[in-house]
Amino acid sequence: MGKKGQKQKIILPPELPPETSDNEIEVSDEDLQFVDENRDYAGFVSRLDTQSITKHVTRVADVKEDALEALYEKRLKKKQLQKEQEDNKLEVDPVDALPVKTLDGQLLYRTATKTSRPSEEGETGDDDKEATADQSVVKLTKAERRAKLKKSKKEAKKQGTELAKTEVEQTPQAAVLDEVKKDITAEEAFEDKKRKIAELGIAVLSDPESNIKSLKDFLQICKDNDHAIVKLGLLSLLAVFKDIIPGYRIRLPTEKELQMKVSKDVQKMRYYESTLLSSYKVHCKSLIEGEMYGFGSNKKAKVLWRCMLMSVMKILWLERNARVFEDKEMGIEDLFERAKFSASLWAALDKEFKGFPFTLIILNWGDAYLQRLAALEKQSSFQHVAIRCICTLLDAAPHFNFWESLLGVVVRNISSSDDVVRRLCCSTIKSIFTNEGKHGGEATLEAVRLIADHVKAHNCQLHPDTIEVFLHLSFAEDLGRSKKTDEKNKVKNKRNKKRKNVEEPSKLPENDRKRSKRELMSKMRGEVEADYKSVAFTPDVIEQRRMQSETLSAVFETYFRVLKHTVQPVAASSEANAGASGSHPLLAPCLRGLGKFSHLIDLDFMGDLINHLRMLAAGGSNSENTSGKSLTVSERLQCCIVAFKVMKSNLDALNVDLQDFFVQLYNIILEYMPGRDQGEVLAEALKIMLCEDRQHDMQKAAAFVKRLATFSLCFGSAESMAALVTLKHLLQKNVKCRNLLENDAGGGSVSGSIAKFQPYASDPNLSGALASVLWELNLLSKHYHGNISTVASSISSMNIAHNQVFLSNVSPIQAFKDMSLEQQSLSPPNDLKQSNGKRKRGSVPFRAEHSLDTSSVDKDSLRKKLSSHFMLLRDIKENQRLRSELDHATSSLQLYEEYKQQMGKDKRDKPEKRARLNGLSK
Amino acid sequence: MRPLDEIETTAVFEKIFKFTGNNLKNIVENPSHEGPDANAGRYCFRLNKTKVYYVSESLVKRATNIARSNLVSLGTCIGKFTHAGNFHLTVQCLSLLASNAKHKVWLKPTSEMSFLYGNHVLKGGLGRITENIVPGDGVIVFSMSDVPLGFGIAAKSTQDCRKMDPNGIVVLHQADIGEYLRMEDEL
Repeated sequence: MGKKGQKQKIILPPELPPETSDNEIEVSDEDLQFVDENRDYAGFVSRLDTQSITKHVTRVADVKEDALEALYEKRLKKKQLQKEQEDNKLEVDPVDALPVKTLDGQLLYRTATKTSRPSEEGETGDDDKEATADQSVVKLTKAERRAKLKKSKKEAKKQGTELAKTEVEQTPQAAVLDEVKKDITAEEAFEDKKRKIAELGIAVLSDPESNIKSLKDFLQICKDNDHAIVKLGLLSLLAVFKDIIPGYRIRLPTEKELQMKVSKDVQKMRYYESTLLSSYKVHCKSLIEGEMYGFGSNKKAKVLWRCMLMSVMKILWLERNARVFEDKEMGIEDLFERAKFSASLWAALDKEFKGFPFTLIILNWGDAYLQRLAALEKQSSFQHVAIRCICTLLDAAPHFNFWESLLGVVVRNISSSDDVVRRLCCSTIKSIFTNEGKHGGEATLEAVRLIADHVKAHNCQLHPDTIEVFLHLSFAEDLGRSKKTDEKNKVKNKRNKKRKNVEEPSKLPENDRKRSKRELMSKMRGEVEADYKSVAFTPDVIEQRRMQSETLSAVFETYFRVLKHTVQPVAASSEANAGASGSHPLLAPCLRGLGKFSHLIDLDFMGDLINHLRMLAAGGSNSENTSGKSLTVSERLQCCIVAFKVMKSNLDALNVDLQDFFVQLYNIILEYMPGRDQGEVLAEALKIMLCEDRQHDMQKAAAFVKRLATFSLCFGSAESMAALVTLKHLLQKNVKCRNLLENDAGGGSVSGSIAKFQPYASDPNLSGALASVLWELNLLSKHYHGNISTVASSISSMNIAHNQVFLSNVSPIQAFKDMSLEQQSLSPPNDLKQSNGKRKRGSVPFRAEHSLDTSSVDKDSLRKKLSSHFMLLRDIKENQRLRSELDHATSSLQLYEEYKQQMGKDKRDKPEKRARLNGLSK
Repeated sequence: MRPLDEIETTAVFEKIFKFTGNNLKNIVENPSHEGPDANAGRYCFRLNKTKVYYVSESLVKRATNIARSNLVSLGTCIGKFTHAGNFHLTVQCLSLLASNAKHKVWLKPTSEMSFLYGNHVLKGGLGRITENIVPGDGVIVFSMSDVPLGFGIAAKSTQDCRKMDPNGIVVLHQADIGEYLRMEDEL
């Protein structure tokens, strides 16, 4: 503030001379008119309600000279009063402060100008909280005042003093109001605030130019203690900003420009822009803060919290040292007290707590702590709101000022564990990537860079979405050529220019004035051009090209980092990530991105890239004993696919045979499991590696034919269809391999050195597949699925019907898709996994992670179902057992009864019998 | 005829290893299917005079009946030791190497003839090349229809091949099947 005051003193013309002359009055008339016309300018202070100003201004306008005099008198009085006040505090000797000579020829001492200070403070005193944010505004208002010429300055002074007065008056009012407010129930206040927000929003939207200052009121609301209100405020402010943000970036006028005379319209515009900008800045800041800490605008609490964290760390460390090295122990309570103490001690040193006795801090500790906790509790919900606001802002206005900070926040949250937040951030970044026209590519570059740094900082342990977004980048390829020609032209032009420049002075050495004039002209023109360029949003080809190449390099840097990181642990520390199968979350999107941008990779990187891919593709099989399975089958297949894509898109001239990858594929086919791995990827690999590659060795082709036939026997119809299509393709291309179709094992002369088929060979070249017979086809022609059986039988008859036109030339991927879709429609409830595949296909990039999740979910649900089923079965069994026991018991009881009865009968019978026997014997 | 001693074995194996890499194991452990015996055993390396032969064990047993001076050849000759003690592979081992090859080069039909007359393989004649070749590796040369034509030593890596001009040498010639005609007497 002091600095400001000084500045003002130097630049500002003197105040009113003691006696008012006639001309002066005339001038002030103009002035009044001006103020009357541009009331908005006069009301540049946010806290100042327009009414008081208007009242003041109108009063002056109505009563004119008398009133003016009265005003001046009043002001003088006020000045004296302030002088008195200040005299107590600081007295500046007129001697040691150099006097300023004004335009009127008056000497002015510093003490005299000091009067302006309190008024200034009155204006900006409340701005403390947003001091940094509002600085630009304050500066601008000052600057504007300067720009308004001398006369308007007087008026401003007057207003300033007025303001100070009104504010002094307002403070007791506010206190009373506060009390009243407390009396009103909280709900009513809430309603009031809501209504106020709505009113403000409507006002700003209806006429943003004239109501721009109410944005500040908005911001004030956003600083409220009530979280609901804050949320509402932020959201509505977001809506307002979305509508009123202009289509260009606002550049604050420089000092030089401020001194220049400008028309009223321009001034108006400037004011509008600056206010918009500053409030936007504050809004962004509050959003970012909200995102970071949850809601805590209380600076003291923040400082305390920070101190507490540090002190706890320190105390714990000291305690640990004491326990380890000195065998001393301290109770937890003591530790806690000590932590509190040191935290308060540190906090007391902070400038926030200036003038706070440190004992008070200790006493108030509990309060601050509780407050902090509450803030943390609110954090998650508040964070959502903040993130949503940030994302929408960035989405709507990626060109506007402060996009960098917004982007930083978005990237920071892109791998958040919170689904909602992450999705929001991802979609925002995607929209930035796709709508490059909005911001001219700058934001893209920045975003890619930030993500690259983010990945680096987190050592590649992020959510796959982080890299997934790169897939949405688009690089225009035709830019390259035009740019080259441009550059050439430019160079030529430069040369020409140089030549001209060299020639010119020699031609006219004497004509100095003309030359200087011309120089001035060219300079001006250059400046104008530069200005125009900075303002215009027409895409500059060279610039765009540069940005694209930088973006690309950042993207590939990230990709290579991920690859390297994936390779490293396999080689060095296998134990660390042996446990989690998803230890390389970024690999899948990285590979996909590499596949997509394979045509843009620099040839120099190619060797390294292929090496890494080979290592990854071999990752699972080579290091089996050490790290178990580090990569899934799908990922390894992806590696193979990427390698082939890279090779294919870059090397048309040289036909390179990627033998290692064929070996990998040959082995991976065996490891494939329909449920766990993605059939989609397998089909793609088959297509790219086997169908689209130009030539194959006979041995290799035969080995693949044999393996695919075996493979198609044991898997679902979709996979086997893909395999069969590939097989057919191979057989069509390699005529010699049709020996496999002959019913004659041994292969004859073509079988090469390996006379017997070795099904376990890991190298397709050594498997001796030519010596085998494709008996699988015979089985497959009896497949339950009609299509497969027809394909199989057509393949097996290929040799006989030699000149037959092969109608089906579908790719394996297509076949796979068709089949899986068909299967799904056949039996939707049965085939859970297929439905998973379907869903994956629905969203354009399918995710490994996702499928893993769903499969695990499936497993869980399956387990549950099974367990319930078995429970039921066991219950039934138990029941049966019990029932049978019961039956047994009852039957035995019955038997016993019967036996008893029989016994009784016997007893009864026996004497008779005996008698009868006796009778008989007699 | 005698088995190879330690030094000779390493010399032979090192040479073959250049061409086949880890597939050398397959060559050594290859079960034999020659000869009338039901259990033919394996193939082994035998030295007769200066030449090294790759023979099935059953054949070796029978060959012991013939005096060393009278024995002209047995099994497949794969190379010979020079007077200085170095080992050179000859064309006859081509089939053995080709089936276990690690690095391969396919020639365009137009440049096949040139190679068969004993010239080096130029970049322009290259139809296809295995990825990941390092200079100094042994390379088997094939025709486009997968017929082995000969072998040689790589002069350039696969990466370097991309930037080369068409007249640069990619594979240095060592042996080709044209030698069966050109050097009939020496073989």
